[in-house]
Amino acid sequence: MIKFEDVTCRFVSGSGIEEASFEVGPGEFVCIIGPTGAGKTTLLRLIYMDIFPEKGKVKVAEFSSVKIKRRRIPYLRRKVGMVFQEFELLEDRSVYENVAIPLHVIGLNIKEIRPRVTNVLEELGISDKSHHLPSELSGGEQQIVSLARAIVKEPIVVLADEPTGNLDPAASLKIIKLLEQINSDGTAVLMATHNYSFVKDRGHRFIEIVEGRVTA
Amino acid sequence: MIDKILYLIAEGFRSLWRARLTAVASITAIGVSMSFVGFGVVIGQNFSDLIEFARSQYRFEVFFSPLMSDSEAELIVKNIRKIERVKSARLITKLEASEIFESEFGENIYDLLQENPLPASCVVKLEEEGEERLRVEPIIRRIRSMQDVTDVRYQGRIISLVERYYQGFFSLVTALAVVVLLGTVLLISNTIRLTIYSRRDLIRILKLVGATNRFIRFPFLVEGVIEGILGALLACVVTYGFVRGGNYFLSLFISYRLIWDMKVVAILVVVVVFFAIAGSMRSVRKFLV
Repeated sequence: MIKFEDVTCRFVSGSGIEEASFEVGPGEFVCIIGPTGAGKTTLLRLIYMDIFPEKGKVKVAEFSSVKIKRRRIPYLRRKVGMVFQEFELLEDRSVYENVAIPLHVIGLNIKEIRPRVTNVLEELGISDKSHHLPSELSGGEQQIVSLARAIVKEPIVVLADEPTGNLDPAASLKIIKLLEQINSDGTAVLMATHNYSFVKDRGHRFIEIVEGRVTA
Repeated sequence: MIDKILYLIAEGFRSLWRARLTAVASITAIGVSMSFVGFGVVIGQNFSDLIEFARSQYRFEVFFSPLMSDSEAELIVKNIRKIERVKSARLITKLEASEIFESEFGENIYDLLQENPLPASCVVKLEEEGEERLRVEPIIRRIRSMQDVTDVRYQGRIISLVERYYQGFFSLVTALAVVVLLGTVLLISNTIRLTIYSRRDLIRILKLVGATNRFIRFPFLVEGVIEGILGALLACVVTYGFVRGGNYFLSLFISYRLIWDMKVVAILVVVVVFFAIAGSMRSVRKFLV
């Protein structure tokens, strides 16, 4: 489903990814671990094609980094859910509106959108906050909303870039458990984290990056 | 598809409401700058009307040989009518000339001289419309060169004076219009860019969830058009106030009144909406790369 073939992507600063090759299959839960600045975010950005490799090839489902046209990138991103450390929610919209955005983008009508958003919010245990603004929620709740927005479009993979980076231990654990719940429904999860202790005993596959090189 | 379009239109209105302070600032900026364009259009239009009025007063009197009969004179008049920018040429027969003489001097020329020595003549009027300078000299030369034309009388100095000022005025108004319009385009473009810059997070998030560029652009387009229309209407109100105020001021000195034409509204709306759309598209593009 996701395939890196000898991928190199370097930045002027010197950071980036060097000759990375690995595969992630459907329904897998993979933790990308490594210290800050190791290249975890770069790896995720390569998957949702925010950046492109200078060498090698990234394949996500039927999309290939060497063949894809710019106008096709939105269609790739509709198959990929994304969660970020900073939540990336729209502050002037309610929880419901934030979660509904990807469905409007896809072009679903209101009758289809309403039940899907309601179900996801219920599934993630945040339906009572659906009319709240993000600023009225705790960090953990905001990250759950971000997660709801990522999965509402039923992606093939959820990319989580340091999803627990701004959360306390209890909220972090809740987010990891929710990601595992999403994964148990068949959605692949790629989670980048520098906090190995949180994920080490949970039975997931690990990809370790050190100074841009995938070592495991 | 219709759901999507309706959502995007609603998004445009919602964005406008969410950023209402910025929107009011944009509309005011557009309105104020477009008011100057409105003043220019009103002044230009009124000056043009004045010029047309002045031109409608231009008339040449062409005198034919006294030996020429009315029917021969009519043939020359027909040729004069064919000259470019000649609006009309009316023959004044020898008989009519004697009647004019009598009405002006109170004496019958036949009683005085037992014959009518007055020649047939013709009154030539020129077209009033047209923005370019009306050159009368070539027309006069052409008429003079016709056989049996003995004299052409016209208000040469007045005509050349009006035409010279008209040309100067027109160049000035055109230059000013270009400057004001360029300023307006920059202002509209920058105002929209600021609005969009304040919502770069929205654009980024929409891109991350898989929105196409068209999807992202559409609400901004709706917003730009609404702001443009409201700005243009504000400019119309200000311009109309300018006409009313100007007329009050003029009424203290002369009887001339500025004319308000609804064309001004159409011009302002079309120009602003065009630039609002172009400005929105240009500004959003920067964040879509």
